[in-house]
Amino acid sequence: MLELDGVACRFGERVLFADLCLSLASGATVAVRGPSGAGKSLLMRAIAGFDPIQEGAVRLEGRAQDAWPVAEWRARVAWVPQAGGAPWGSPADLVAERATFRARRGAPVVDPRAFGEAMLLSARSWDQPWRSLSGGERQRVLLALAISGEPDVLLLDEPTSALDAAATAAVERVLAGRTALWVTHDVAQAARVATATVEVG
Amino acid sequence: MGPPVVDGWGLGLAASLLCINAGLSLWLRLGLERALGVAALRAAVQLSLLAMVLEPVFSIAHPAAVVGLVLVMVLLAGREAARRTSRSYAGMGWVTLVAMGGGAGLTAVIGTGWILRADPWWEPRYLIPFVGMILGNTLTGVSLGLDTVLRALDEQRSTVELRMALGASPWEACRPLVADATRTGMLPIVNAMSVAGLVTIPGMMTGQLLGGSSPSVAARYQVLILFLITAAVGVGVGVAVITTLRLLFDARWRLRLERLTHR
Repeated sequence: MLELDGVACRFGERVLFADLCLSLASGATVAVRGPSGAGKSLLMRAIAGFDPIQEGAVRLEGRAQDAWPVAEWRARVAWVPQAGGAPWGSPADLVAERATFRARRGAPVVDPRAFGEAMLLSARSWDQPWRSLSGGERQRVLLALAISGEPDVLLLDEPTSALDAAATAAVERVLAGRTALWVTHDVAQAARVATATVEVG
Repeated sequence: MGPPVVDGWGLGLAASLLCINAGLSLWLRLGLERALGVAALRAAVQLSLLAMVLEPVFSIAHPAAVVGLVLVMVLLAGREAARRTSRSYAGMGWVTLVAMGGGAGLTAVIGTGWILRADPWWEPRYLIPFVGMILGNTLTGVSLGLDTVLRALDEQRSTVELRMALGASPWEACRPLVADATRTGMLPIVNAMSVAGLVTIPGMMTGQLLGGSSPSVAARYQVLILFLITAAVGVGVGVAVITTLRLLFDARWRLRLERLTHR
């Protein structure tokens, strides 16, 4: 499904990693591991199409990233960034607004709340302002949003870094069997969720 | 008989009034004497130079001379607007130039040619003061709007990218931030309109009164120029903000913040 062919990542002059090759089959989860600053997040950004790919190629169904219309690539390859900025309004506002985005008109409407609930996210979280959500709540909101877009591939950047053991287990259950690249620091988690592991850096 | 003239003796007397400030500065050790002298001299020299430029343009009364002067004014204003933002990108000077030139040129010509029905439309006595006042005010709006949108893109990158990850185009992702920047750019002139005449007598009306116009004629001119300025701010802010978005995103919908430089 998703292939990386000789992908390299530089930060300024420094080469973070080079010649990364991997192939992600449908339904498989590959864990991405490596020390902090190894370029794991940059790799996710590049695959998602938010940074140019500096070297090598990323392909989906055999077709290079550049050959896909941007909107379609982003719908098929869903990036779940580390919970960073606080969007305006509440998650529910963003869900409503997403339905108005041109690229999503006519797309099936799947309610992300059900996924949130399966990840032990309280239903109240959806209607609270982003600012008042904890890191763990934000992570699960972002995951539920990504999953509800029904993408082919999920790019998960440390999706459980702010979660306790129970919530982590729930997230792992919801994500099981989905096609994903999963960045994690946790060796035990990699062993639980991944069919293979790549080391970067 | 025209209005009284300020002669050399009068200007000298006015300059001697600055001794008050110089005296204060010496007494309180403000250290401002030098700056005061330089500023006063600069004001006198710069405005004399401006008059020296305007004199021939007014007397030649040739469209090329008038349009040439207007272009120089637009150039200077565009450059100044681009210098006032906290961040910039390559080509931003051109963007402010086009934004301000477009807004000011369009509204000034509508004002002289269509509303005042000046004949010809480039009559320097009308066109040049109009362009000057419009540029002076759009400068604030355009640089504020531009600074707001650049700051927001820089500081809210993760939010913008999250929205794009959920399927938004750059335009859809940035809508709230564009609205905010446009509002910020337009607010000063909207506020200025709502207090016009309450606190001070605005510049153009003052000039008209000094020139011998009746207060009601002067008021009409002032309203006209306020409306023209407001429209020019709208055009300028809109063009500057939207063009900036186009230049900071690439064709693959990536926000290229490395194109921004801080200063």
